[in-house]
Amino acid sequence: MQQQELFQEQVDGLEAAHFLVLCWAAAAEDRTSRYNITNCFDDLKFSGITRTKQSAVSVIDALARLRFIELREEGNRRHIFITRHGARALEHLVLKRKFTPVKSYFLEGSKP
Amino acid sequence: MTIGIGGAGSRLALKLDRDATVVNVSQTELAKVEARNRILAVVHAAQGQLRGSRKDPRIGESAFQSIRQELLHLAEGNLVVSSTGGGTGNGITSCLLRELANAEDLAVERRTRFALVLPYAKLEPAEYVVNTTDFLQGPLSDAIDNGNTGNIFLFSNKVKFEGRLAEDDFNNKLAASFQMLLDLPGKNDELKLLDGHIDHEDFDLFLSKPYFNYFTYFHHDPEQPFGKQLDKHRNPLILPPDNPIEALFVYEVPEGGDPRPFYDILEHFAPQDVNPVYSVLENPKLKKPFITLSLLYSRKPAELVEDFNRVSQEHAEAKVRKSIEQHVNLPKLEVNLQTEARKMARQQGASEDDILQILKRLGKLK
Repeated sequence: MQQQELFQEQVDGLEAAHFLVLCWAAAAEDRTSRYNITNCFDDLKFSGITRTKQSAVSVIDALARLRFIELREEGNRRHIFITRHGARALEHLVLKRKFTPVKSYFLEGSKP
Repeated sequence: MTIGIGGAGSRLALKLDRDATVVNVSQTELAKVEARNRILAVVHAAQGQLRGSRKDPRIGESAFQSIRQELLHLAEGNLVVSSTGGGTGNGITSCLLRELANAEDLAVERRTRFALVLPYAKLEPAEYVVNTTDFLQGPLSDAIDNGNTGNIFLFSNKVKFEGRLAEDDFNNKLAASFQMLLDLPGKNDELKLLDGHIDHEDFDLFLSKPYFNYFTYFHHDPEQPFGKQLDKHRNPLILPPDNPIEALFVYEVPEGGDPRPFYDILEHFAPQDVNPVYSVLENPKLKKPFITLSLLYSRKPAELVEDFNRVSQEHAEAKVRKSIEQHVNLPKLEVNLQTEARKMARQQGASEDDILQILKRLGKLK
Protein backbone atom coordinates (compact mmCIF):
# COMPACT_ATOMS: atom_id res chain seq x y z
CA MET A 1 0.00 0.00 0.00
CA GLN A 2 2.80 2.36 0.97
CA GLN A 3 4.72 1.36 -2.15
CA GLN A 4 1.72 2.29 -4.23
CA GLU A 5 1.55 5.61 -2.44
CA LEU A 6 5.23 6.27 -3.10
CA PHE A 7 4.84 5.36 -6.74
CA GLN A 8 1.88 7.71 -7.01
CA GLU A 9 3.88 10.53 -5.49
CA GLN A 10 6.79 9.86 -7.80
CA VAL A 11 4.53 9.96 -10.84
CA ASP A 12 2.79 13.10 -9.64
CA GLY A 13 6.18 14.77 -9.33
CA LEU A 14 7.01 14.23 -12.98
CA GLU A 15 6.96 17.13 -15.38
CA ALA A 16 6.26 17.48 -19.09
CA ALA A 17 9.91 16.86 -19.98
CA HIS A 18 9.89 13.54 -18.06
CA PHE A 19 6.61 12.56 -19.71
CA LEU A 20 7.99 13.23 -23.17
CA VAL A 21 11.20 11.32 -22.56
CA LEU A 22 9.14 8.33 -21.44
CA CYS A 23 6.92 8.66 -24.55
CA TRP A 24 9.85 8.91 -26.93
CA ALA A 25 11.77 6.09 -25.29
CA ALA A 26 8.70 3.81 -25.55
CA ALA A 27 8.05 4.81 -29.15
CA ALA A 28 11.69 4.19 -30.09
CA GLU A 29 11.70 0.80 -28.47
CA ASP A 30 8.45 -0.04 -30.25
CA ARG A 31 10.18 0.74 -33.55
CA THR A 32 13.28 -1.14 -32.41
CA SER A 33 15.25 2.04 -32.77
CA ARG A 34 18.03 2.98 -30.43
CA TYR A 35 17.26 6.22 -28.60
CA ASN A 36 20.25 7.76 -26.93
CA ILE A 37 20.87 10.75 -24.69
CA THR A 38 21.93 12.95 -27.61
CA ASN A 39 18.73 12.12 -29.52
CA CYS A 40 16.74 12.91 -26.40
CA PHE A 41 18.52 16.24 -25.91
CA ASP A 42 17.80 17.16 -29.55
CA ASP A 43 14.12 16.32 -29.14
CA LEU A 44 13.81 18.34 -25.95
CA LYS A 45 15.60 21.21 -27.61
CA PHE A 46 13.44 21.16 -30.76
CA SER A 47 10.31 20.90 -28.63
CA GLY A 48 11.33 24.09 -26.89
CA ILE A 49 11.66 22.50 -23.48
CA THR A 50 15.33 23.06 -22.87
CA ARG A 51 18.29 24.66 -24.53
CA THR A 52 21.05 23.00 -22.51
CA LYS A 53 22.29 19.46 -22.52
CA GLN A 54 22.68 19.62 -18.73
CA SER A 55 18.92 20.04 -18.33
CA ALA A 56 18.26 17.14 -20.67
CA VAL A 57 20.72 15.00 -18.79
CA SER A 58 19.15 15.91 -15.44
CA VAL A 59 15.68 14.88 -16.74
CA ILE A 60 17.09 11.57 -17.94
CA ASP A 61 19.07 11.09 -14.72
CA ALA A 62 15.93 11.68 -12.61
CA LEU A 63 13.97 9.12 -14.60
CA ALA A 64 16.83 6.65 -14.35
CA ARG A 65 17.08 7.06 -10.56
CA LEU A 66 13.35 6.52 -10.24
CA ARG A 67 13.91 3.37 -12.31
CA PHE A 68 11.44 4.59 -14.90
CA ILE A 69 14.09 4.27 -17.59
CA GLU A 70 17.16 2.16 -17.98
CA LEU A 71 20.35 3.48 -19.51
CA ARG A 72 22.37 0.88 -21.34
CA GLU A 73 25.91 1.40 -22.51
CA GLU A 74 26.02 0.12 -26.09
CA GLY A 75 29.27 0.85 -27.83
CA ASN A 76 30.13 4.42 -26.92
CA ARG A 77 26.43 5.42 -26.64
CA ARG A 78 24.05 5.35 -23.71
CA HIS A 79 20.66 4.22 -24.95
CA ILE A 80 17.37 4.81 -23.16
CA PHE A 81 14.84 2.04 -22.51
CA ILE A 82 11.59 2.39 -20.64
CA THR A 83 11.20 0.07 -17.63
CA ARG A 84 8.01 -1.65 -16.40
CA HIS A 85 7.73 1.04 -13.71
CA GLY A 86 8.23 3.69 -16.35
CA ALA A 87 5.53 2.07 -18.49
CA ARG A 88 3.11 2.22 -15.57
CA ALA A 89 4.06 5.79 -14.82
CA LEU A 90 3.53 6.73 -18.46
CA GLU A 91 0.20 4.91 -18.54
CA HIS A 92 -0.83 6.80 -15.42
CA LEU A 93 0.10 10.16 -16.92
CA VAL A 94 -1.64 9.35 -20.20
CA LEU A 95 -4.85 8.36 -18.46
CA LYS A 96 -4.74 11.47 -16.32
CA ARG A 97 -4.20 13.52 -19.49
CA LYS A 98 -1.82 15.64 -17.53
CA PHE A 99 0.53 16.34 -20.46
CA THR A 100 0.18 16.44 -24.20
CA PRO A 101 2.38 14.20 -26.37
CA VAL A 102 4.71 15.90 -28.84
CA LYS A 103 6.36 14.15 -31.73
CA SER A 104 9.99 13.12 -31.58
CA TYR A 105 12.00 14.75 -34.33
CA PHE A 106 14.49 11.93 -34.07
CA LEU A 107 11.81 9.28 -34.64
CA GLU A 108 9.78 11.21 -37.21
CA GLY A 109 12.92 12.14 -39.09
CA SER A 110 12.31 15.87 -39.54
CA LYS A 111 13.59 18.88 -37.74
CA PRO A 112 11.75 22.19 -37.52
CA MET B 1 -14.46 82.11 -65.54
CA THR B 2 -15.49 78.63 -64.50
CA ILE B 3 -13.17 75.77 -63.63
CA GLY B 4 -14.43 72.19 -63.73
CA ILE B 5 -12.46 69.65 -61.71
CA GLY B 6 -12.80 65.92 -62.33
CA GLY B 7 -15.08 64.18 -64.80
CA ALA B 8 -18.47 65.20 -63.37
CA GLY B 9 -17.29 68.69 -62.44
CA SER B 10 -15.88 69.30 -65.92
CA ARG B 11 -19.05 68.24 -67.70
CA LEU B 12 -21.19 70.47 -65.50
CA ALA B 13 -18.77 73.40 -65.76
CA LEU B 14 -18.97 73.27 -69.54
CA LYS B 15 -22.76 73.47 -69.33
CA LEU B 16 -22.42 76.60 -67.23
CA ASP B 17 -19.66 78.16 -69.25
CA ARG B 18 -18.55 77.06 -72.71
CA ASP B 19 -15.15 78.63 -72.05
CA ALA B 20 -14.65 76.75 -68.81
CA THR B 21 -11.24 75.33 -67.99
CA VAL B 22 -11.33 71.64 -67.15
CA VAL B 23 -8.92 69.77 -64.92
CA ASN B 24 -8.42 66.02 -64.73
CA VAL B 25 -5.81 63.40 -63.86
CA SER B 26 -6.81 61.25 -66.80
CA GLN B 27 -5.89 62.07 -70.38
CA THR B 28 -8.72 59.84 -71.52
CA GLU B 29 -11.27 61.81 -69.51
CA LEU B 30 -9.83 65.13 -70.69
CA ALA B 31 -10.06 64.01 -74.30
CA LYS B 32 -13.75 63.21 -73.85
CA VAL B 33 -14.79 66.78 -73.03
CA GLU B 34 -14.97 69.49 -75.63
CA ALA B 35 -13.15 72.19 -73.76
CA ARG B 36 -10.83 74.86 -75.06
CA ASN B 37 -8.74 74.89 -71.91
CA ARG B 38 -7.68 71.59 -70.45
CA ILE B 39 -5.24 71.01 -67.63
CA LEU B 40 -3.76 67.60 -66.96
CA ALA B 41 -2.83 67.05 -63.32
CA VAL B 42 0.11 64.68 -63.24
CA VAL B 43 -0.20 61.44 -61.31
CA HIS B 44 2.98 59.63 -60.48
CA ALA B 45 1.72 56.15 -61.19
CA ALA B 46 3.06 53.19 -63.08
CA GLN B 47 -0.15 53.04 -65.10
CA GLY B 48 0.55 56.43 -66.62
CA GLN B 49 -2.05 59.10 -67.16
CA LEU B 50 -4.74 57.05 -68.83
CA ARG B 51 -6.49 55.86 -65.71
CA GLY B 52 -8.63 58.08 -63.55
CA SER B 53 -8.41 58.33 -59.81
CA ARG B 54 -10.68 55.32 -59.22
CA LYS B 55 -12.81 57.03 -56.55
CA ASP B 56 -9.68 57.58 -54.49
CA PRO B 57 -9.25 61.25 -53.44
CA ARG B 58 -5.61 60.57 -52.52
CA ILE B 59 -4.82 60.29 -56.22
CA GLY B 60 -6.40 63.68 -56.85
CA GLU B 61 -4.55 65.11 -53.87
CA SER B 62 -1.18 63.81 -55.07
CA ALA B 63 -1.85 65.24 -58.54
CA PHE B 64 -2.72 68.67 -57.13
CA GLN B 65 0.94 69.59 -56.61
CA SER B 66 1.61 69.45 -60.33
CA ILE B 67 -1.01 72.16 -61.02
CA ARG B 68 -0.98 74.01 -57.69
CA GLN B 69 0.24 77.41 -58.87
CA GLU B 70 -1.79 77.38 -62.05
CA LEU B 71 -5.01 76.33 -60.32
CA LEU B 72 -4.65 78.79 -57.43
CA HIS B 73 -4.19 81.58 -59.94
CA LEU B 74 -7.12 80.46 -62.10
CA ALA B 75 -9.48 79.95 -59.19
CA GLU B 76 -9.02 83.47 -57.83
CA GLY B 77 -12.35 85.24 -57.97
CA ASN B 78 -13.87 82.49 -60.11
CA LEU B 79 -16.24 79.56 -59.80
CA VAL B 80 -14.93 76.03 -59.19
CA VAL B 81 -17.29 73.20 -60.06
CA SER B 82 -16.66 69.73 -58.69
CA SER B 83 -18.36 66.63 -57.42
CA THR B 84 -17.47 65.51 -53.90
CA GLY B 85 -17.88 61.77 -54.35
CA GLY B 86 -15.18 60.83 -56.84
CA GLY B 87 -11.42 60.87 -56.58
CA THR B 88 -10.25 63.70 -58.81
CA GLY B 89 -12.83 66.36 -57.98
CA ASN B 90 -12.78 65.59 -54.29
CA GLY B 91 -8.97 65.26 -54.07
CA ILE B 92 -7.99 68.37 -56.02
CA THR B 93 -10.79 70.53 -54.59
CA SER B 94 -9.82 69.41 -51.07
CA CYS B 95 -6.27 70.64 -51.67
CA LEU B 96 -7.54 73.89 -53.10
CA LEU B 97 -9.75 74.46 -50.06
CA ARG B 98 -6.83 73.68 -47.73
CA GLU B 99 -4.69 76.24 -49.51
CA LEU B 100 -7.48 78.79 -49.04
CA ALA B 101 -7.90 77.82 -45.39
CA ASN B 102 -4.22 78.49 -44.81
CA ALA B 103 -4.12 81.70 -46.82
CA GLU B 104 -4.19 85.11 -45.22
CA ASP B 105 -7.36 87.16 -45.58
CA LEU B 106 -8.23 87.30 -49.23
CA ALA B 107 -9.74 90.40 -50.76
CA VAL B 108 -13.40 90.02 -51.75
CA GLU B 109 -12.65 90.00 -55.45
CA ARG B 110 -10.12 87.17 -55.05
CA ARG B 111 -12.43 84.75 -53.30
CA THR B 112 -13.29 81.53 -55.08
CA ARG B 113 -16.89 80.31 -55.26
CA PHE B 114 -17.58 76.62 -55.20
CA ALA B 115 -20.40 74.68 -56.82
CA LEU B 116 -20.23 71.21 -55.31
CA VAL B 117 -22.33 68.29 -56.41
CA LEU B 118 -23.02 65.85 -53.59
CA PRO B 119 -23.91 62.20 -54.23
CA TYR B 120 -27.35 60.79 -53.60
CA ALA B 121 -26.40 58.49 -50.75
CA LYS B 122 -29.32 56.12 -51.19
CA LEU B 123 -28.31 54.95 -54.64
CA GLU B 124 -24.73 55.98 -55.29
CA PRO B 125 -21.67 53.92 -54.26
CA ALA B 126 -20.73 53.90 -50.60
CA GLU B 127 -17.25 55.19 -51.50
CA TYR B 128 -18.83 58.41 -52.79
CA VAL B 129 -20.64 58.88 -49.50
CA VAL B 130 -17.50 58.26 -47.44
CA ASN B 131 -15.44 60.61 -49.65
CA THR B 132 -18.11 63.28 -49.30
CA THR B 133 -18.29 62.93 -45.52
CA ASP B 134 -14.52 63.34 -45.27
CA PHE B 135 -14.66 66.31 -47.61
CA LEU B 136 -17.41 68.11 -45.69
CA GLN B 137 -15.85 67.47 -42.30
CA GLY B 138 -12.32 68.28 -43.35
CA PRO B 139 -11.27 70.75 -46.02
CA LEU B 140 -14.66 72.37 -46.60
CA SER B 141 -15.28 72.95 -42.91
CA ASP B 142 -11.77 74.39 -42.43
CA ALA B 143 -12.10 76.71 -45.41
CA ILE B 144 -15.47 78.01 -44.18
CA ASP B 145 -14.01 78.65 -40.72
CA ASN B 146 -11.22 80.66 -42.28
CA GLY B 147 -13.67 82.76 -44.33
CA ASN B 148 -11.53 82.82 -47.44
CA THR B 149 -14.05 81.33 -49.83
CA GLY B 150 -16.92 82.91 -51.63
CA ASN B 151 -20.40 81.34 -51.70
CA ILE B 152 -20.58 77.58 -51.61
CA PHE B 153 -23.40 75.95 -53.52
CA LEU B 154 -24.26 72.45 -52.35
CA PHE B 155 -26.07 70.78 -55.21
CA SER B 156 -27.47 67.30 -54.83
CA ASN B 157 -27.74 64.38 -57.22
CA LYS B 158 -31.06 63.44 -55.63
CA VAL B 159 -33.18 64.79 -58.49
CA LYS B 160 -31.04 62.94 -61.02
CA PHE B 161 -31.47 59.56 -59.35
CA GLU B 162 -35.06 59.94 -58.24
CA GLY B 163 -36.06 61.30 -61.63
CA ARG B 164 -33.90 58.70 -63.44
CA LEU B 165 -32.36 61.45 -65.55
CA ALA B 166 -29.49 61.02 -67.97
CA GLU B 167 -26.43 62.86 -66.70
CA ASP B 168 -26.49 65.27 -69.61
CA ASP B 169 -30.15 66.14 -68.98
CA PHE B 170 -29.49 66.58 -65.29
CA ASN B 171 -26.51 68.84 -66.00
CA ASN B 172 -28.63 70.89 -68.39
CA LYS B 173 -31.29 71.23 -65.71
CA LEU B 174 -28.79 72.17 -63.05
CA ALA B 175 -26.99 74.64 -65.30
CA ALA B 176 -30.29 76.24 -66.33
CA SER B 177 -31.27 76.61 -62.70
CA PHE B 178 -27.90 78.09 -61.74
CA GLN B 179 -28.07 80.43 -64.68
CA MET B 180 -31.32 81.87 -63.27
CA LEU B 181 -29.26 83.18 -60.36
CA LEU B 182 -26.25 84.25 -62.38
CA ASP B 183 -28.46 86.20 -64.82
CA LEU B 184 -29.72 88.57 -62.12
CA PRO B 185 -27.23 91.42 -62.60
CA GLY B 186 -27.73 91.17 -66.37
CA LYS B 187 -31.49 91.56 -65.89
CA ASN B 188 -30.85 94.64 -63.81
CA ASP B 189 -28.93 96.05 -66.76
CA GLU B 190 -31.58 95.23 -69.32
CA LEU B 191 -34.93 95.70 -67.61
CA LYS B 192 -36.66 98.80 -66.32
CA LEU B 193 -35.89 99.38 -62.65
CA LEU B 194 -38.92 100.05 -60.43
CA ASP B 195 -37.39 99.89 -56.98
CA GLY B 196 -34.15 98.99 -55.21
CA HIS B 197 -31.01 98.18 -57.16
CA ILE B 198 -28.60 95.31 -57.68
CA ASP B 199 -25.67 95.97 -59.96
CA HIS B 200 -22.78 93.66 -60.87
CA GLU B 201 -20.70 94.87 -57.95
CA ASP B 202 -23.51 94.25 -55.47
CA PHE B 203 -24.02 90.79 -56.88
CA ASP B 204 -20.30 89.96 -56.85
CA LEU B 205 -20.04 91.15 -53.26
CA PHE B 206 -22.96 88.90 -52.31
CA LEU B 207 -21.37 85.90 -54.03
CA SER B 208 -18.04 86.60 -52.35
CA LYS B 209 -19.30 86.04 -48.81
CA PRO B 210 -18.11 82.84 -47.15
CA TYR B 211 -21.53 81.26 -46.68
CA PHE B 212 -23.61 78.53 -48.21
CA ASN B 213 -25.88 79.81 -50.91
CA TYR B 214 -29.38 78.51 -51.48
CA PHE B 215 -31.49 79.95 -54.25
CA THR B 216 -34.90 79.40 -55.72
CA TYR B 217 -37.31 81.13 -58.12
CA PHE B 218 -41.02 80.99 -58.73
CA HIS B 219 -44.07 82.92 -59.83
CA HIS B 220 -45.22 84.96 -56.91
CA ASP B 221 -48.85 85.21 -55.88
CA PRO B 222 -49.29 88.49 -53.95
CA GLU B 223 -52.46 87.10 -52.38
CA GLN B 224 -50.65 84.24 -50.61
CA PRO B 225 -48.26 84.49 -47.62
CA PHE B 226 -44.71 84.62 -48.91
CA GLY B 227 -43.39 82.04 -46.41
CA LYS B 228 -45.79 79.38 -47.62
CA GLN B 229 -44.88 80.05 -51.21
CA LEU B 230 -41.17 79.83 -50.37
CA ASP B 231 -41.66 76.45 -48.74
CA LYS B 232 -43.74 75.25 -51.63
CA HIS B 233 -41.20 76.27 -54.26
CA ARG B 234 -38.03 74.92 -52.80
CA ASN B 235 -35.27 74.33 -55.34
CA PRO B 236 -34.87 70.54 -55.34
CA LEU B 237 -31.46 70.72 -57.00
CA ILE B 238 -29.74 72.38 -54.06
CA LEU B 239 -29.68 71.42 -50.40
CA PRO B 240 -32.25 73.28 -48.29
CA PRO B 241 -30.98 76.20 -46.22
CA ASP B 242 -30.70 76.82 -42.53
CA ASN B 243 -31.81 80.17 -41.07
CA PRO B 244 -30.64 82.85 -43.49
CA ILE B 245 -28.07 85.45 -42.57
CA GLU B 246 -28.36 87.48 -45.71
CA ALA B 247 -30.76 87.50 -48.65
CA LEU B 248 -30.93 88.90 -52.13
CA PHE B 249 -33.91 88.91 -54.45
CA VAL B 250 -35.04 90.27 -57.75
CA TYR B 251 -38.78 90.79 -58.07
CA GLU B 252 -40.03 91.00 -61.63
CA VAL B 253 -43.49 92.24 -62.46
CA PRO B 254 -45.30 92.29 -65.80
CA GLU B 255 -45.59 95.52 -67.73
CA GLY B 256 -47.77 97.90 -65.71
CA GLY B 257 -47.82 95.40 -62.80
CA ASP B 258 -47.91 96.36 -59.13
CA PRO B 259 -44.37 96.47 -57.74
CA ARG B 260 -45.45 96.81 -54.08
CA PRO B 261 -45.73 93.10 -53.12
CA PHE B 262 -41.95 93.15 -52.62
CA TYR B 263 -42.69 94.77 -49.26
CA ASP B 264 -44.30 91.48 -48.19
CA ILE B 265 -41.00 89.78 -48.90
CA LEU B 266 -39.02 92.32 -46.88
CA GLU B 267 -41.49 91.87 -44.02
CA HIS B 268 -41.12 88.10 -44.22
CA PHE B 269 -37.39 88.37 -43.51
CA ALA B 270 -37.56 91.22 -40.98
CA PRO B 271 -38.30 88.97 -37.93
CA GLN B 272 -35.10 87.05 -38.76
CA ASP B 273 -33.10 90.29 -38.76
CA VAL B 274 -32.36 89.83 -42.42
CA ASN B 275 -32.50 92.87 -44.63
CA PRO B 276 -32.37 91.62 -48.20
CA VAL B 277 -30.59 93.34 -51.03
CA TYR B 278 -33.24 93.63 -53.73
CA SER B 279 -34.38 95.14 -56.94
CA VAL B 280 -37.81 95.32 -58.56
CA LEU B 281 -37.87 95.16 -62.32
CA GLU B 282 -40.50 95.41 -65.01
CA ASN B 283 -40.34 92.45 -67.38
CA PRO B 284 -42.70 92.80 -70.34
CA LYS B 285 -42.33 89.09 -71.17
CA LEU B 286 -44.01 88.06 -67.93
CA LYS B 287 -47.72 87.66 -67.24
CA LYS B 288 -47.35 87.06 -63.50
CA PRO B 289 -44.84 88.40 -60.93
CA PHE B 290 -41.69 86.32 -60.68
CA ILE B 291 -39.14 86.20 -57.88
CA THR B 292 -35.59 84.93 -57.82
CA LEU B 293 -34.31 84.67 -54.27
CA SER B 294 -30.94 83.75 -52.85
CA LEU B 295 -30.27 83.08 -49.17
CA LEU B 296 -26.92 82.88 -47.44
CA TYR B 297 -26.64 80.68 -44.39
CA SER B 298 -23.66 79.96 -42.24
CA ARG B 299 -24.46 76.64 -40.66
CA LYS B 300 -21.63 74.20 -40.90
CA PRO B 301 -22.95 71.21 -42.72
CA ALA B 302 -23.03 69.26 -39.47
CA GLU B 303 -26.44 67.78 -40.05
CA LEU B 304 -25.45 66.97 -43.55
CA VAL B 305 -22.35 65.17 -42.33
CA GLU B 306 -24.43 63.33 -39.77
CA ASP B 307 -26.84 62.26 -42.43
CA PHE B 308 -24.05 61.11 -44.70
CA ASN B 309 -22.45 59.20 -41.85
CA ARG B 310 -25.68 57.44 -41.08
CA VAL B 311 -26.20 56.43 -44.69
CA SER B 312 -22.57 55.40 -44.96
CA GLN B 313 -22.95 53.20 -41.88
CA GLU B 314 -26.10 51.63 -43.32
CA HIS B 315 -24.24 50.94 -46.55
CA ALA B 316 -21.38 49.27 -44.71
CA GLU B 317 -23.72 47.15 -42.60
CA ALA B 318 -25.73 46.13 -45.63
CA LYS B 319 -22.54 45.13 -47.44
CA VAL B 320 -21.38 42.99 -44.53
CA ARG B 321 -24.80 41.36 -44.23
CA LYS B 322 -24.87 40.69 -47.95
CA SER B 323 -21.41 39.13 -47.99
CA ILE B 324 -22.26 36.94 -45.01
CA GLU B 325 -25.54 35.81 -46.50
CA GLN B 326 -24.02 35.11 -49.89
CA HIS B 327 -20.69 33.58 -49.14
CA VAL B 328 -20.33 32.42 -45.57
CA ASN B 329 -22.33 29.91 -43.60
CA LEU B 330 -21.06 30.24 -40.08
CA PRO B 331 -21.87 27.26 -37.87
CA LYS B 332 -22.06 27.78 -34.15
CA LEU B 333 -18.71 26.72 -32.75
CA GLU B 334 -18.28 25.49 -29.23
CA VAL B 335 -14.56 25.46 -28.74
CA ASN B 336 -12.89 23.75 -25.83
CA LEU B 337 -9.37 25.06 -25.84
CA GLN B 338 -7.99 22.03 -24.02
CA THR B 339 -9.53 19.66 -26.55
CA GLU B 340 -8.31 21.81 -29.43
CA ALA B 341 -4.80 21.88 -27.98
CA ARG B 342 -4.81 18.11 -27.70
CA LYS B 343 -6.08 17.84 -31.24
CA MET B 344 -3.25 20.05 -32.45
CA ALA B 345 -0.74 18.08 -30.45
CA ARG B 346 -2.07 14.82 -31.85
CA GLN B 347 -1.48 16.15 -35.32
CA GLN B 348 2.09 16.79 -34.34
CA GLY B 349 2.83 13.70 -32.24
CA ALA B 350 1.41 10.42 -31.10
CA SER B 351 -1.96 10.36 -29.41
CA GLU B 352 -2.54 9.08 -25.88
CA ASP B 353 -4.14 5.94 -27.30
CA ASP B 354 -1.08 5.33 -29.45
CA ILE B 355 1.16 5.50 -26.38
CA LEU B 356 -0.98 3.00 -24.50
CA GLN B 357 -0.90 0.69 -27.53
CA ILE B 358 2.89 0.97 -27.63
CA LEU B 359 3.18 0.14 -23.95
CA LYS B 360 0.99 -2.94 -24.43
CA ARG B 361 3.02 -4.08 -27.41
CA LEU B 362 6.21 -3.70 -25.42
CA GLY B 363 4.67 -6.01 -22.79
CA LYS B 364 5.73 -3.78 -19.97
CA LEU B 365 2.27 -3.29 -18.56
CA LYS B 366 0.91 -6.11 -16.47
